[in-house]
Amino acid sequence: MITNQLALVRRELWEHRSIWITPAAVATITTLLAVAMVIAVAAFGEILNPDIEKIADATVPESVRRVALAGFLLGNTSVFLIAMWFLAIFYCLDALYAERKDKSILFWRSLPITDAETVVSKLLTAAIAIPLATMVAVIISHLLNLIIISIWLAAEGANPMRFIWGAVPLFDTWIAVTTILIAVPIWMAPLLGWFLFISAWAKRGPLLRAVLPIAILPILEYIVFRSWALGEAILTRLSIVTMPIFDSISHSGFDEDDLESILSENLSLVSWLDYGKFLTSIEVWTGLIVCGLFITAAIYVRRYRDES
Amino acid sequence: MTSLVTARNVSKSFGPVRAVDNVSFEIEKGKITGLFGPNGAGKTTLLKALLGLTDCDGDLSVLGLDPFRQRKELMKNICFIADVAVLPRWIKVEQLLDFVEATHPNYSRKRSEELLARTKVRKDAKVRELSKGMVTQLHLSIITAVDARLLVLDEPTLGLDIIFRKEFYSNLLNDYFDGERTIFITTHQVEEIENLMTDIMFINDGRLLLNTSMESLAGKFVELVTSGENADKARQLGPIYERDVFGKKVMTFEGIDRDKVAAFGELHTPSVADLFVAKVKGAAA
Repeated sequence: MITNQLALVRRELWEHRSIWITPAAVATITTLLAVAMVIAVAAFGEILNPDIEKIADATVPESVRRVALAGFLLGNTSVFLIAMWFLAIFYCLDALYAERKDKSILFWRSLPITDAETVVSKLLTAAIAIPLATMVAVIISHLLNLIIISIWLAAEGANPMRFIWGAVPLFDTWIAVTTILIAVPIWMAPLLGWFLFISAWAKRGPLLRAVLPIAILPILEYIVFRSWALGEAILTRLSIVTMPIFDSISHSGFDEDDLESILSENLSLVSWLDYGKFLTSIEVWTGLIVCGLFITAAIYVRRYRDES
Repeated sequence: MTSLVTARNVSKSFGPVRAVDNVSFEIEKGKITGLFGPNGAGKTTLLKALLGLTDCDGDLSVLGLDPFRQRKELMKNICFIADVAVLPRWIKVEQLLDFVEATHPNYSRKRSEELLARTKVRKDAKVRELSKGMVTQLHLSIITAVDARLLVLDEPTLGLDIIFRKEFYSNLLNDYFDGERTIFITTHQVEEIENLMTDIMFINDGRLLLNTSMESLAGKFVELVTSGENADKARQLGPIYERDVFGKKVMTFEGIDRDKVAAFGELHTPSVADLFVAKVKGAAA
């Protein structure tokens, strides 16, 4: 069972190379942007990024620099989160559709692997392999960005050990980011399940067939019942910042003031995440149940539908 | 004799269409059975039922298992090639071998590699870079390396040129078939497998028209080449099918004493292809 899962997930990485190419591309872009920024600063002498300005300012207190560094890294991470969001959705949409389109499904089904094992491996790829690949890229991107800023600071005559490496809450940020990366697919589970189901079910045009119902049903609900419950539920799931893990802060997102109050009191980002709220949230658990139902439906479709 | 496949009153309907209609047969160990039928006769549906890819009514047991409900268990001991195009095009040959090795308990990678070494298939090539013939060689090298008790082939040589087709069957006999293993095969190219089959089945409109061993074919069917008056006399004996060849009448008889018709002309044992036409057209007439 576990050997089969490992082989199946590895197969997904072979087939869907975007799983590692996308985070690698984002890491490359963020790194190149850092280089461009440093060159621009050297050329024009003006720092446009307020975080970098604080980091490089010798007069600011240590706590402010810490906040600025954490803010800089989180800003960088948010690009990866957006990329991961698209990656997970498009992966799920393609995962059970591609094998039918290229007719390889008959070959896969000629091996001693159940339909349930196959469908679950696709879910695990979206929920574990994609966040893992993203995390590796985030760490590499953070290190490269900090190295580039260090080189620039050193060239300016400042000590990067003091300005960067002595101040940056690196591991705290990484643990917090890992937690968020684990939480995102759990939060998005009903959507991932839905997209996987459509991927198994749609004869063609899975994107349209996946998007139309979640766009039209809320409108119908509004016309018929004058309520927005479904639309709100879907929008909430589509957003990352609405996760109950962020409940201890305002829903306005990664606010600099929030960060400042957390980090200036020597608290960490990790302690700022609300694990209890997340794990006991009814929304999270209903989402997982809905995901389970869609996955069961996807398994059923793959098993019972005659592809000839 | 042990039966690997036992089908009793197997049926499968798609809406009002009965693709497989009350079919019963057995396949014994060590046999090479050919299944023939025109397009839409129910061949593929029957094969899919055998492979657990589709549910069906009636009793169907393959290697003692219910194919639809115990598909995973079944696939450990069955191999099939459904069509030449089914290997995923994006995968590398090496990855494919890795994957089968990791998921199939009865697979010998070493054997696959030995077989591939005899071909032009490179291990670092992607399936999409291979010719159709090479893809079939690759597929055959995988299933031949699985220690499977039953091999099911559905039009395995479709779209291949004659050299690859000949090679396919000779490899199949030399590398896979050992008397212990069993092969069930469907193809339109009847002539190619005529000499390697031990048993033969005809299906049309979902029903079995014929199910017999190749050995008993000569005893059951006879073809008479005749003309003129003799033809009229022979026609009285009730041929199942009659056709014209170069001005002569060729009549196919089933279950008739050869001596009875010998006087009317020349006798042959019909080829499988001719017999197939006779049974299908004869049944339709």
